[in-house]
Amino acid sequence: MKNDVSNSYQAAHHTNGYEFSQGTGYVLPEYESVIPEAVHSGAVEHHRILIVGGGLAGLTLACSLAQLGVDCVLLDEDNTVGVKGASSRGICYTQKSLEIFDKLGIYERIKAKGIQWSVGRTFAGEDEVYSFDLKAQGNFSLSEQPAFINIQQFYNEGYLVERIQELGKAQIRWNNRVTAFAVKDDLATFSLATPAGKYTATADFVIDATGSRSPFHDWLKISKTSKKGDDRWCIADVRFNTHPPKERHTWIEAPFNDNRAVWQHLMADDVWRIDYQMAPDADPAIVSREDLVRERLAKQFGAETKVDIVWVGPYAYRSECVDRMIAAAGKSMVFFMGDSAKVVSPFGARGGNTGIADADNLAWKLAGVVQGRAEPSLLNSYHAERHEAAVTNVKVTNRTARFLRPQDGMERIFRSATIALAKKHAFARSLVNTGRMAVANPYSKSPLTAPELALSISVQNVGFEWANGSAGCLNQLLQWACGLPLILLWAEGAQALPGAELKMLQALSREGQIRAVLVRQRKEAAFAATEQIHDAAGRLAQACGFSAGLPTQAWALIRSDSYLAACGSGIRCDAIQAALFRLHGRQKNAVDMP
Amino acid sequence: MTAPILHSQWSDPDGFYEALLDAHQSLSDEESVAFNARLILILANQLGDAELLSQCLQLAKK
Repeated sequence: MKNDVSNSYQAAHHTNGYEFSQGTGYVLPEYESVIPEAVHSGAVEHHRILIVGGGLAGLTLACSLAQLGVDCVLLDEDNTVGVKGASSRGICYTQKSLEIFDKLGIYERIKAKGIQWSVGRTFAGEDEVYSFDLKAQGNFSLSEQPAFINIQQFYNEGYLVERIQELGKAQIRWNNRVTAFAVKDDLATFSLATPAGKYTATADFVIDATGSRSPFHDWLKISKTSKKGDDRWCIADVRFNTHPPKERHTWIEAPFNDNRAVWQHLMADDVWRIDYQMAPDADPAIVSREDLVRERLAKQFGAETKVDIVWVGPYAYRSECVDRMIAAAGKSMVFFMGDSAKVVSPFGARGGNTGIADADNLAWKLAGVVQGRAEPSLLNSYHAERHEAAVTNVKVTNRTARFLRPQDGMERIFRSATIALAKKHAFARSLVNTGRMAVANPYSKSPLTAPELALSISVQNVGFEWANGSAGCLNQLLQWACGLPLILLWAEGAQALPGAELKMLQALSREGQIRAVLVRQRKEAAFAATEQIHDAAGRLAQACGFSAGLPTQAWALIRSDSYLAACGSGIRCDAIQAALFRLHGRQKNAVDMP
Repeated sequence: MTAPILHSQWSDPDGFYEALLDAHQSLSDEESVAFNARLILILANQLGDAELLSQCLQLAKK
């Protein structure tokens, strides 16, 4: 027998509770329902690629596929972005996500609307314990995109929707809800409901981008690890007339919040996002009451500050990770993406951003297979690569959650010790954990990476000059490559490219298998190519990991998702061929289907 | 790979032992626990290496 009180606690355990939203709210767009012909004709539709869920991950995938010239259908059970009447949700977008959005053509809108930041400060009591400036860190400094932009999640989703509408190729079907799933005749088969009636569809490649309450987990009997906690937060999106600095401020122990944690961030439209940690297992209905929220804000910003509450909501979280990122449904393949693959504790911006990266990772691989360039076994690398990223992000964020919600007793004692020491000594600051900010996860176990490369890293979106002197960046090369492997070649000095290698690269380019470009540091270098760019400061080489200065001849193979697959000093046919072989899903010991 | 040193490295074992006990003399039980936690972190940082520290934790388990 269910008890009303335990129902609301259970809701807080498993979901992000938006049920108690208050405030004037955001005005979200409403899109028209899309009713497919199959509703009237009764025919069973078949799709090569079917994406279920129109959130950050699903929309990024649909947009990427559209840009690569691949048809797909995306189903969303709703007709808006975000969730009706709900909040800012994921607000910190990493450099990697911004680079992906730049490649897709929506970055300028995000830059115009959002807030850039790079400085973070952590406080305990009245003291600042720790601060960082991401701009000073090497792995952010080469990109055209900043370390972070804060913007409400629904803006990015809305921009993706509009870009998809511009590109064509991807069809978003609003108000199409999956009501049942089965495997029939070896195919993933969906029963779908729309406002005008039902229809059935099958698909070869299914992407589960349904979020943290995926129905696919039960349908496919997915094994996964989950962890729940009693940490509770209350989020408030507010406007006020004072102007705190555009920095990320986190309090481990805020005197104005019963010595619990507080997060403070600026988003678009001059709206501040303030997250208050509540007592463990706090009642969501009580903590999100307007008078209590106003009381908290007054304690933090002063009673005279005029406050405009835009949205309030209680928040609980769990962590979860599927054991396999790909499941078989007959001969169909189901890919888990975004929160349906892994749910993370909300510290360090590793939630939405990881979903966006999942999508960018899969898009070029799906395009390669569907367009006949690559073997289906290439798709298995999605598990090898993105599962490693998922496991890492769950581990890192759970460590933060443990610091912010330590168990009573010894865990709390160690935290107090850490904070006390950190106020006086640098060594202890490394232990203060209010979030390890997300980075583009490197891949250490990918079958697509050259064995000599310990890690496949994401090459930053470096700026350079086109041959005519105008400004360019790596993303433009990737857009030109349109899913094909991109080969960068360096050959300074009087040396030309070796003859056999040059012939091979020319043939592969002519056949539409690769795109290759010569990167020159000095404009007077003897060797020239039709496809060449100028990088006087050698920043592309640096971004590709050539740290000890560039050899006379070198090459790098960059995938469509910016990850480095192979590189070397000296340009050799066999090394390049082996690298390309791997990127097309062909290798000596093929990875078995999960 | 560094293993924990198990032979005596003390330059003044009795002196250290006395100082450690004296440090707790005027402390309540709660203050002693907090002091020990701070001391552990300070000393652990002197070693620094994650593998070595992990082995020390294993040693302490029994």
